Order: sequence, then C-alpha cells, then structure tokens
Amino acid sequence: MITDTTPHADVEHVWGTVVSVQTVGTPDPEAVAAFFAELHEIDRIFSPYRPDSEVSRIAEGQLALGDADPLVQEVAARCAAYEGETGGLFTAYWRGCFDPTGLVKGWAIDRAAARHLEPLVDGASVGAVGVDAGGDVLVFTHPDLDRTWHIGIADPRRRGAVVATVPLRNGAVATSGIAERGAHILDPRTGSAATGVASATVVASTLEIADVWATASVVAGFDAPLPPQGTVLLIAEDGRIRRGISGVEVSVGAAS
Amino acid sequence: MKRIVYAVLGTLAGLVLLFSYRTSLQVVPPTASGTTSGTVSGGSGGSSGSSGGSSSTRLKDGTYTGQSTDTRWGPVQVRITVSDGRITAADAVDYPMNNGRDQEINRFAIPQLQNETLQAQSAQIDMVSGATYTSEGYATSLQSAIDQARS
Repeated sequence: MITDTTPHADVEHVWGTVVSVQTVGTPDPEAVAAFFAELHEIDRIFSPYRPDSEVSRIAEGQLALGDADPLVQEVAARCAAYEGETGGLFTAYWRGCFDPTGLVKGWAIDRAAARHLEPLVDGASVGAVGVDAGGDVLVFTHPDLDRTWHIGIADPRRRGAVVATVPLRNGAVATSGIAERGAHILDPRTGSAATGVASATVVASTLEIADVWATASVVAGFDAPLPPQGTVLLIAEDGRIRRGISGVEVSVGAAS
Repeated sequence: MKRIVYAVLGTLAGLVLLFSYRTSLQVVPPTASGTTSGTVSGGSGGSSGSSGGSSSTRLKDGTYTGQSTDTRWGPVQVRITVSDGRITAADAVDYPMNNGRDQEINRFAIPQLQNETLQAQSAQIDMVSGATYTSEGYATSLQSAIDQARS
C-alpha cells in the first residue's frame, strides 16, 4: 500500500537538456540508473553534435545507412513512415542530410522507459513513474493507485507560466515550439523557419507519436488541419488557441 | 446585460484531402433555472454559438455531451463538465482507440485552460511540458523548481 503519493525526483543531464524521473512509492536507484544509461548510449549513436556518432558519419557520407547500427535503421524506417503519415511535415531530412533527432528523443524515452521504468509499476512498491525529458512527458500509473498526474503546459509567451493542464494517468505529452530556442523548426516544404505557431502540444499513447505530431503541427501552421492522432493544443504567436481531439476541433468559449 | 453563450463546437477538420465536408455542433447551456444537466446536440452544418436565447452570464452547471463525429479512425464524442460556472473536465467519451492504453488516455485527453478551471492549478502540477529547454534553461524552469522540491 502506497500512502505517500508525493513523487521522488531523480535528475540527470542528457542530450543537452535535463531528464527527470519521478517515482511514486519506493524509488529503484538501479533501474533509474539503467534508464539514464540507455539514454546516454542512444546519444552516443544518434547525436548530431558528436562527430563520431553514427548519425554524424551518415550525414558526412562516411557510413551507409545499410551498414549502420540496427537501431539507426529502425529509426530511419520509422522516420520514413511518419514522413508519409504527416504528408511531409515531418522528415528526417529536414536539413538536407539524415538527422532523425526529431524522432529519436521520443522514441528513446518510450523505449528506455518501457524497459527500465514501466516494469517497476507493480502497485505495491511503486504506484506510478513519470518522466520529463526536457519538456516531453511520459507517465505510467498502476490501475490501483488513486492518483492522476497533472501535466502543466508551458505558456510559450510567458516564461515560467502555465497556460493549461492535462490530467493524465497513462500516456505522453509532447510540446514543440519556438519559446526556448527561437525559430529552430524548419519547414521541410520551404526550407525556412516555421512561424505562426508559438507552441503545439500533443497528448498521445506514446511520446514518439506525440513528439512527431507536435513538430508537424508547428510546421503546418496555426490554421492547418489538426493532427489526426492524439489531442492537440495549439497556441499562436498572437495568443489564439485551438484544441482538438483526433482531428476534431473542440472549442469552448463565449459567443457574444 | 451582455449575453454570453458558451458553446462546444466540434468541427471535423481532419485531413483536408480526406474530409471534404464540415460539421459542427453546439452545446448551449439550458436557460431554465434549477436545471442541473442538459444534453443538446446540434445538427450538421448548423450555425454556431448564437442560438439558445440564454440570458445567463455564465455556463450552467451540468454535463454537456456533444454530437458524435465520425473521423477516419472512428467516432469522436466530447463531453464537458461544468461546476460552479467553470469547466472542470473536458473528456472524450467516445474516441478511436487501438488498445487499452489508448482507452485510458482518452478519459483525460483534453487540455484544460487555466481560465476555464476553478482555481489556479500551478500548486498541483507534477511535470511541465514545453518546448525543449537547454541545460541552462532548465535551471530557471518551473520543472527545476518541482524537481528540487521532490529530490
């Protein structure tokens, strides 16, 4: 029986950002360390900032995709599938050469969490585990635990403020936008920076799906059709807001 | 008195190439006092947010369920719960799903805006989703403050 449902947080610097793991119940330091170790290993293979990573060597033409680590080939195949699903809004070739960074973060968190954290959630010693990887959130909650995660969605126009919350027991929340690092998301259709959407948040079953569609939604623009998967919160640079679920717009507001 | 009508609109957006029609629905708060719940579904193609004739200045308490809307992946139906004039929950009661995990997610899927809810919720936030911050940006973030309180 878990009586104290205040999570314990473990924090690690990975991928140029910070990943925190929150445990409701008794933390398992070995499992959390194994989770972080897997993220570091993924970084060694996939980081475009490491000249010796497989992704950098592929981009430089020193390594053929077919000769790369099986994980790289798996990610490349997933990127290609999402490129089709999003009609080209998401692509691993957004900057000309192979750079699957937009997929790797969500994919790797999903994978490492499924291997090292989700199995801890037994309802006895651990009731729930949550991960926040630089603003991407993934949570697991045991059915017997009477506790819901409250995920704040950062206000892209007011640093430190929260614009909305999502109550979530199991699932992923990803947000893409220009608030933290400027207009860094390129529109693969034009090659120029995507503008108009200050942030796009997608709630989905996995972080990979959420992350891909959040990025695609920033690229698509504020007035574009909503993503067909998950639920979405779009915030325009001028403050307008759209919400949708599975491509269906939900608007709740005052009509004069 | 300025009339304020709250409406829940469900607009089939989806993929433009797949859906060539639009449908909308609205849920208008009941006008009679003492009504604690109401369910109103509008037909397709209806006008939005202007009917109802309510002179109420705020949303009536109750549960409002919108019309089911077909999508490529299956039907979507949205329900909002209003308490003390504010929206306390916005759920999808019907939602395309592939597995049990999808099913659990749908119950809590719609982000609730701060100004719709009864109180500021910052105090009970567990984690923050936002554009990826750098290691330096993390130091001054809300997530950092939460982590420090819980480490």
